[in-house]
Amino acid sequence: MEYVLKVNRLNKEYSNFKLENVSFSIKQGSIMGFIGRNGAGKTTTLKALMNLVRPSSGEIELLSMSLREHEKEIKQRVGYATGGISYYKRKKLIDIINITKIFYRNWDDEVCRHYLKMFALDKSKKLFELSEGMKVKFNLTIALSHHAELLILDEPTSGLDPVSRDELLEIFLDLAKEGVSILFSTHIISDLDRCADTITYIRKGKILASEKIDEFLENYSLIDLPDKGIISDNQKGKFLGVCLNKNGSTALVRRNDEGFFKEFKKREPDLESIMIHLEKEGF
Amino acid sequence: MKKLLCKEFKLTACPLTFIFIVFSAMTMIPGYPILIGAFFVCLGILYTFQFAREDNDVLYTALLPVAKNDVVKARYIFVTSIEMISFIISSILTLIRMIFLSNVEVYVNNPLMNANLVYLGSYLIIFALFNLIFVYGFFRTAYYFGKPFLYYSIATFVLVGAMETLHNIPGFEVLNVCNFDRIGLQLSFLLISVCIYVVATFVSMKKSISKFDNIDM
Repeated sequence: MEYVLKVNRLNKEYSNFKLENVSFSIKQGSIMGFIGRNGAGKTTTLKALMNLVRPSSGEIELLSMSLREHEKEIKQRVGYATGGISYYKRKKLIDIINITKIFYRNWDDEVCRHYLKMFALDKSKKLFELSEGMKVKFNLTIALSHHAELLILDEPTSGLDPVSRDELLEIFLDLAKEGVSILFSTHIISDLDRCADTITYIRKGKILASEKIDEFLENYSLIDLPDKGIISDNQKGKFLGVCLNKNGSTALVRRNDEGFFKEFKKREPDLESIMIHLEKEGF
Repeated sequence: MKKLLCKEFKLTACPLTFIFIVFSAMTMIPGYPILIGAFFVCLGILYTFQFAREDNDVLYTALLPVAKNDVVKARYIFVTSIEMISFIISSILTLIRMIFLSNVEVYVNNPLMNANLVYLGSYLIIFALFNLIFVYGFFRTAYYFGKPFLYYSIATFVLVGAMETLHNIPGFEVLNVCNFDRIGLQLSFLLISVCIYVVATFVSMKKSISKFDNIDM
């Protein structure tokens, strides 16, 4: 299957943070969740994919074209939206749409009207009259109205009510069936369970994993630790992260290391518990 | 580029920018440092930069299917368009003063600068300073514009002060004629100013494109 996005050894250095050798790829028709805690480098990476952030080194290829060499053509065929940012607050939605559409050769008024109706957006309203959630919906409408082959969405579900979130995730699934690829960052892990088939997990600027969700989950096991006192140093060395809870504590270990914990109760971890444990680290 | 210009005028521009072009008519005021009119026009352009920043215009534009350097070029074309509209208005009014009103007492006995081709040249240099100091200063970060505008204001007031002083120095009275006397000298000053404006704007744009290309948004 054809890759619509390839990121190879992307590096970006700031004074107090750096992206280190970020590499991942997305196949056509795939929905990839991009996860990591705040400040892990998700937004920086997504911005680099749109040439909003200039990487120190590395290669970015979208739709089989180099970003540096084919920026205009790539942006014609890629949709980008982000939550939390609004443009032209004093302008009516219709005015923003009318200007935006002249830049896209594949702009589809019918599709635009469809999403405006679906999201209950009144195009005669000014942007500042919309709630934060409605602003996100408007940004998504713009990103979805020019038949993009790849959608890059930075926290698109932030600020949306549960019904709207569900509607959006359904849209993602429909688009994926049509061959559109989607990369979206989120903190809401249930969104990934709902529609993503692959995840890329970034931690402190480094990619920890980029694979199918099932394969990712199969790599880990959750161990219930009722009493820390009986844990040997050898066993502690296998812990990837430990979390306290009201019944004691739980430890995340690699599935391969399960044999070291025969006396303990084991559970299948979900994405959220893996993420929380990995971020907590030591014992 | 045509599409980007359409966006600059319809989405980005602050209405005050267009209203402030009216200050070009200060060309007609006697007994007033009329070069300040060019400064007010630039002040009007500043409002567009302020609006654009509040509206995340640079980010919006950079996400459109356009080359990153076209974002900068479009803003320069917008700025120079406003400047040229102002310059044309000011030129027409200057010619009216020089042709039809050169004998009017308030202009003949004007203690401050008269509208002539030297004035028009100085008018252009004020715009050149704006493009070189302010617009380039803005694109160094594509966000901050306070300091660039302060530095531009200081440079402009120094220039206005210098031009208002110069024609009072013996031997330089010719700079303040209100008719076509010494037209060769006046024309030379204007042509040199046009060159300064073109070069300053071009250099400013080139430097801005280079800076903007490396900016992280």
